[in-house]
Amino acid sequence: MTDSVDVDVVVVGAGLSGLAAARGLQRHGLSVKVFEALDRVGGRVGSATVAEAHVDLGGTFVGPDHDRINALADEVGVGRCLTHEAGDNLLLWRKDRKRYRGALLPIGATSLLDLARIRSSLERMSRRIPVGRPWSAPDAAGLDAQTLGTWLTARHAGQAAKDLLAVVCKTSWGCEPSEISLLHVLHYIAQAGGLDPMLDTRGGAQEQHFVEGAHEVAVRVARALGPDTVRLGSPVLRIDRSDDAVTVHTDDGLTTARRVVVAVPPAMRHRIRFVPALPAAHRHLAQRWSPGVLSKIYAVYDTPFWREQGLSGMTISDEGPVFITFDAGSPDTSRGVLLGFIGGDYAREWDAVDAAERRVRALSALADLFGERALTPRGYIDQRWGEEDWLGGGPTAAPGPGAVASLHARLTEPVGPVHWAGTETARRWAGFMDGAVAAGERAAREIAVELTATPEEKARRCTPEEKARR
Amino acid sequence: MTWSRRHSQLTTATAPRLWERWTNAAYWQLDDPGVAWAQIDGPLTAGTTGVVKEHGTPVQRIEFTRVEHERAMDFVIRLPLATLTVTHDMEPAGEGLRATHGVVLDGPLHRLYAAVLGGRLARRLPLVVRNVTAGALKR
Repeated sequence: MTDSVDVDVVVVGAGLSGLAAARGLQRHGLSVKVFEALDRVGGRVGSATVAEAHVDLGGTFVGPDHDRINALADEVGVGRCLTHEAGDNLLLWRKDRKRYRGALLPIGATSLLDLARIRSSLERMSRRIPVGRPWSAPDAAGLDAQTLGTWLTARHAGQAAKDLLAVVCKTSWGCEPSEISLLHVLHYIAQAGGLDPMLDTRGGAQEQHFVEGAHEVAVRVARALGPDTVRLGSPVLRIDRSDDAVTVHTDDGLTTARRVVVAVPPAMRHRIRFVPALPAAHRHLAQRWSPGVLSKIYAVYDTPFWREQGLSGMTISDEGPVFITFDAGSPDTSRGVLLGFIGGDYAREWDAVDAAERRVRALSALADLFGERALTPRGYIDQRWGEEDWLGGGPTAAPGPGAVASLHARLTEPVGPVHWAGTETARRWAGFMDGAVAAGERAAREIAVELTATPEEKARRCTPEEKARR
Repeated sequence: MTWSRRHSQLTTATAPRLWERWTNAAYWQLDDPGVAWAQIDGPLTAGTTGVVKEHGTPVQRIEFTRVEHERAMDFVIRLPLATLTVTHDMEPAGEGLRATHGVVLDGPLHRLYAAVLGGRLARRLPLVVRNVTAGALKR
């Protein structure tokens, strides 16, 4: 296929999305080169071994509806296991430590009713948001003019409901309710199929995790692309484009291609100089779809001692910095593995202190939940995604008010030979690993249609969204 | 006859730095988002007085009731038919210090004040402890 260019397609970014795009392009018979700024593949998934236990530093969980990432993992032979949830969950709330099971949080009848009212409103409003097209929702601009925080205040939400929605916000977007567009929140709920699929463990997006780790999926996909396909430590600095070709600049030189897939977080698009410049709306998107801040800690113990106390390891706390935890142990280890999340304002404070202070603060928070034994892990590690130079944060973009209705359509809209991927560009499960893979596959399909299909085939192979755009 | 809440956090900050953060009133408005300004009248000993201005409330007189160098410091605010005591303790623990801040309401109307003020005071404790320890780590 390659003719007078170095490769058919350059992919920028070797996260799950870029790798899925490269894999899809190769399957269509196209030659591919992947440039990755970091010295590893995976993007917002990463891994480490701590006290002989494997831990996921980035994207971790998958749900039963995550068909694209699950299919990819199956293809490369990475297994899944259920997230441990046997036992009581814990809620550290208003200085009280309470056990509970199921979805009914022990926050008192009045607060529960208020929470149910707020949840119900969000669910009802989300059902009016067209999945993949939030800008076309009724009163999209009005919804986008509010933050989740201002909406909660306008709905006279009680403090408990506000605090619990803040937990959701920190976990899902790495930000506070006062920072994120209400339209984005509603669309996120809509594309996940509701709050339960988005937030639950059993039957929801936290149901399983990968035995060998999510990063292993990326490693194996990259390996399968063939030698010299993925170049690490090679940030793309500039992309020159004409109507039907691109020249991609890295420190190593120039690579010419017929198309390029930019599979980086939206805000990182700003790090690339496009010549000629991108249209204004595309530039604004890169400026205004900044990532949230979510950090993770793992404490590894000789045994999962909390299970002896009848605890699941799943906790929610209103104190921070660790505000939500899971038992992230895998069947292949007898170690006890606690995963804790630190997000939003908690993460901004916690990320700024030195490593020793971060460790004692995190373990102190775990001890508040699980007792003094939590202070003496066999191993500990933390990951601050906000400190990652070429990622800028995580787990996903957290667009503020006014940045969705006018800019969401630019996430996927190609600019000449420049196509876009990355989890934020997915139609469903954007922000999750499944969205990353789906977006990469969609970008590959778009390009394959352009480069390999006859006009009749093009019409037949386009998705409804792609057809609408054409 | 009391209502109390406290919050502890481990920190690698040193006792002298933490003590400085507690006993220099200029830091209070930096560490506690509820405080507009504060002032301590003279050298700090039990019985020393001062004032605290919280956002949206009148200036309150405070009196220090416990001052144990690099270990503990409490002050009280006298309310009609109740007393609010703000406590600060530090002790060596594990890899550093355990810093504990608390609020105690006592007196005949302590339940009323707990209902009106308690939730807000308790919710602020973790943030204030984090701010104080983070401030103590800076040089």
